[in-house]
Amino acid sequence: MDILSDINFALRTLIKNPKFTALTVFVMTTGLTLCIYMFSFIHGSIVAPLPFENGERIRAVGTIHNGMHYQGASFRVHDFEDLKKRVQSYEVFDAYDVATVNLSTSDRAVRYTGHYVTENFFEISEAKPLFGRLITNEDGVSGAEPVAVISHTIWQNMFAGDKNVLGKKLRINSKPTTVIGVMPDSYQFPSAGRVWMPFTTTGKGVARKDGHYVAVYGVLKGGVTDKQADAELQILMAELAESYPKLNSNTSAHVWTLQLAAMGSDTPIIILAMELAVGFILLLACINVGNLLFSRATEKGKETAIRTALGAPRIRLVMQMMWESLLICLISGVLAVLFAGLWLEVANRDVLESFPFDPPFWWNIKITQTSLIAAVVITLVTAFITGILPALKATSGDFNATLRDGTRGAQSKASGRLSKVIVISEVVLSCALLLLSTGMVYSVNQQNTIDYGTTVEDIFTASVGLPEVAYENDEKRQQYYQNLAESLLTEAEISAVSFTRALPGNGASYENIALDNVDYGKNPQYPSSSSVGVDHNYFAVMEMNLREGRLFDSRDKIDSPLTAVVTDNFVNKFFKDGDVLGKRFKFVETDKDWYTVIGVVNDVIHGQPMSYNIEKPTAFISIQQTPKRFMSVVIKTEADNAASVTGLSERVVDIALKVERDAPLYNVKTLRNSITARNAGMNFVSELFLVFAIASMVLAFSGIYGVMSNTIVQKTQEIGIRRALGADNSDIYKHFIKQGVKQLAIGLAIGLPMGVALVTMLEASSIAQGSLMLYFVIPAFISAVMLLAIYYPVQRALKMEPCAALRHE
Amino acid sequence: MKTLIKLTNLKKVFSTDEVETHALSDINLEVKQGEYLSIAGPSGCGKSTLLSLLGLLDTSSGGSYNLNGHDVVDINGKQRAAIRNKEIGFVFQSFNLISELTVAENVALPLTYRKDLSKSQRAELVTAALEKVDMNHRTKHYPSQLSGGQQQRVAVARAIAGNPSIILADEPTGNLDSKNAELVMALLDKLHAEGATICMVTHDPRGAKRAERVIEIFDGRIVSDSPTMPSQIEEAVA
Ligand SMILES: Nc1ncnc2c1ncn2[C@@H]1O[C@H](COP(=O)(O)OP(=O)(O)OP(=O)(O)O)[C@@H](O)[C@H]1O
Ligand SMILES: [Mg+2]
Repeated sequence: MDILSDINFALRTLIKNPKFTALTVFVMTTGLTLCIYMFSFIHGSIVAPLPFENGERIRAVGTIHNGMHYQGASFRVHDFEDLKKRVQSYEVFDAYDVATVNLSTSDRAVRYTGHYVTENFFEISEAKPLFGRLITNEDGVSGAEPVAVISHTIWQNMFAGDKNVLGKKLRINSKPTTVIGVMPDSYQFPSAGRVWMPFTTTGKGVARKDGHYVAVYGVLKGGVTDKQADAELQILMAELAESYPKLNSNTSAHVWTLQLAAMGSDTPIIILAMELAVGFILLLACINVGNLLFSRATEKGKETAIRTALGAPRIRLVMQMMWESLLICLISGVLAVLFAGLWLEVANRDVLESFPFDPPFWWNIKITQTSLIAAVVITLVTAFITGILPALKATSGDFNATLRDGTRGAQSKASGRLSKVIVISEVVLSCALLLLSTGMVYSVNQQNTIDYGTTVEDIFTASVGLPEVAYENDEKRQQYYQNLAESLLTEAEISAVSFTRALPGNGASYENIALDNVDYGKNPQYPSSSSVGVDHNYFAVMEMNLREGRLFDSRDKIDSPLTAVVTDNFVNKFFKDGDVLGKRFKFVETDKDWYTVIGVVNDVIHGQPMSYNIEKPTAFISIQQTPKRFMSVVIKTEADNAASVTGLSERVVDIALKVERDAPLYNVKTLRNSITARNAGMNFVSELFLVFAIASMVLAFSGIYGVMSNTIVQKTQEIGIRRALGADNSDIYKHFIKQGVKQLAIGLAIGLPMGVALVTMLEASSIAQGSLMLYFVIPAFISAVMLLAIYYPVQRALKMEPCAALRHE
Repeated sequence: MKTLIKLTNLKKVFSTDEVETHALSDINLEVKQGEYLSIAGPSGCGKSTLLSLLGLLDTSSGGSYNLNGHDVVDINGKQRAAIRNKEIGFVFQSFNLISELTVAENVALPLTYRKDLSKSQRAELVTAALEKVDMNHRTKHYPSQLSGGQQQRVAVARAIAGNPSIILADEPTGNLDSKNAELVMALLDKLHAEGATICMVTHDPRGAKRAERVIEIFDGRIVSDSPTMPSQIEEAVA
């Protein structure tokens, strides 16, 4: 009964004070919504185990090369085979390969992502074909008939859903292949695949340096931690580096969950930053609401004191106040779940669609049972934190002193100290939080507007992959590229065509190099450089600048000595004296002949515009000398509106099919779009942090304002006394500003270094970027908030006649 | 003796929610330097209101007020603050010490609003004021660590620290027991003997008896103004 009447009492108090209730619920809802949203997002995309029996133990294994993490097909198959013999931590240690493949039937050719897999692969991922059978280990032995499992999409698109598709032939990379099964489209392990073929890649009979690269994954043995698996890998990789210094120096490996691997190696630190930010925001919300509750409690101080004097047990008084915070938090919690749910839906619909990839199949980004449980726990904990301190504090006062009413505010001294602590923590938290979030937003903005070192406007790009069978030698490949360029140039809107192995903003192959006349010793620590094959006119089409020497021209033929054009970074890193022309280097792994540097051009950013990519050296090599089967086509066009862009891209695809039926163009888009899409992930993160920044600004402002105005209202009488003693308005302002500046200074002295430290931590992985401007503007903003929070309440108090202020209770 | 205060037809009307309270009507009053004036009257008659107007803690609704030769009705807030600071010392019923400040800091407070005093001058004035009220042994204490009587003595020290022309006291003994009330009254007597001008509101007949002159207010008007005769007061009380 006591509890019921206490709840009833708390409810009535809340209803009687609608302004107070609205404010506290608003503040709490803001904090909880962000918290629940982030929890659901992180849980749904990263933490929740894969939906398989062994989901918790499935791992991807990536390599680390010169400190950079690589995912996907990043292991030389020889390394994989050596590791497989030695690893102890895994139940299954296996490899697969991914490649885009040309699929053609008699009347169509399309390019799709293909997976080369083992029986294990399907078993672990609990694959069930719609019909037909899956790939078995027998399909992978050499000499077996080429078979493929196709996806539902391909079955529909290429076979019009023909029920008798099993046994039919399909040309995959020009090789006739038998269809043995059809998979449902829901099967997307580990990423959206369209066609599956037996994994046949092997190191047997292949020189180590020519080894194909494969993706490695596994299932950990029960009880083996990631740390243990990681430690084992490091040891084995170090042994490999010792045995094969030329190929494996600076190379190690790392165990990832598939979820993290899919998000990129920066994810843990981004998540840490998000959790910090959300934690800070929730803490801010708790402090604000706690403070509001506390100042209400002090207002009722006399009532409490009378009750205590009348013998009410303290626990009862504490409980009464706790009910109030619990009710506020529960209402906010329900609202927060609703808002977070809505927001997640919007994020799923609008934001994820802008991603350049399909979200992984395990993403379950919505309010789930787990996130509901988390929401309840978070809400209860928050209610406890916000309620307990004010309640204890308010009931702990010397009730006798309160009742004696001797001096003005015997209790206000303790509450005065508390409100100072609150203001200081608000300043600390908001300063750190604002620096963190603006640092992040700022860096993404920098990335979006960065100069890639080439023009990115009026450029149209597409990818092309030549079938291995028909294009087995360099001459044929080179002929194809020449034919394609000539055909494309017949289009009036196309003014130039060029080719590159890596577009600006897209990752380039990063290889160990050896400089001529440098002895790398017995345990070589080779430097690395990006290597990008380009057509001779690439520099002109992309409007790059020649610093010295010459660009590729007709002298750089297939049979003439190898040449390279390098970037400023290359010179600065390897030829500090600047004397680079005529110097030689070679790519260690491919162990070809020496490349002679013939020219220097400006830097180009390959990969996302993070500092580690910006600082990479690049060597451009001529595709006339090393024509590869996979290439990006660069098309310069004057077509500038969306309609003509779409029209052109269709015609470009048609033209290419006429040149080679088995090499359809794919990824056809403008360079600008391809770069924007690559930054979509970071843009998403940055938008989140923008929300964090705004939320923290609102909470810090309302919090600081709330505390200050409360403090000042409580000091109305003191203001009256001071004025009676002769203080004029400026004296009163000065008095409060002086106090505020003290708290501000302490708060900034803690918050600024904290924020700078956080930004610096994230700067290391190029996720945030500090700037002196931000380090100045944000403290200035917080100071301005503080001044306003002092100015307005004081101004209001000064509007009273001093005698009215003196009578103020 | 010089005239310190001259009120002519002073009025105060409070307007709240369509109700107009005529707290003071047509007050005419002169107070000379060195006078010890007591203001009496039933509750709600306007005593505190009058004291507030005298102390420039509130603005009048009409009439004129001349303080120490200056007309103080039409002056701005800054000038009013300066006059409160230099000319007037307040003693309140509820002491009104600032709880976060020590005894010495409380007494020094009015002096800090003067721009022409050095730190050492201020310290001297504070010590002198605390000596007068016999509280110089408690300078570092906080108000909450003092008894009510001690707090009021500190408040008196604060009122006199800046050597004001007049001390305004609104029921200074209202919150004190009789022994402490006696002490504070004796203190005011002593100050008066040393030449201070005092205007005091009091319900306490023994307090009023100490003044040289009593004015009585009824319903916002001065209804009597007479020198104190012990017998008269006793009669009135009886
Ligand atoms: N701020 C105000 N607003 C409205 N009316 C007021 C205000 N202050 C005082 N009054 C009214 O003015 C009248 C005089 O009040 P005042 O406080 O001067 O009385 P008092 O003589 O000091 O009484 P007491 O002996 O009880 O202290 C009262 O009727 C009071 O209700
Ligand atoms: Mg009164």
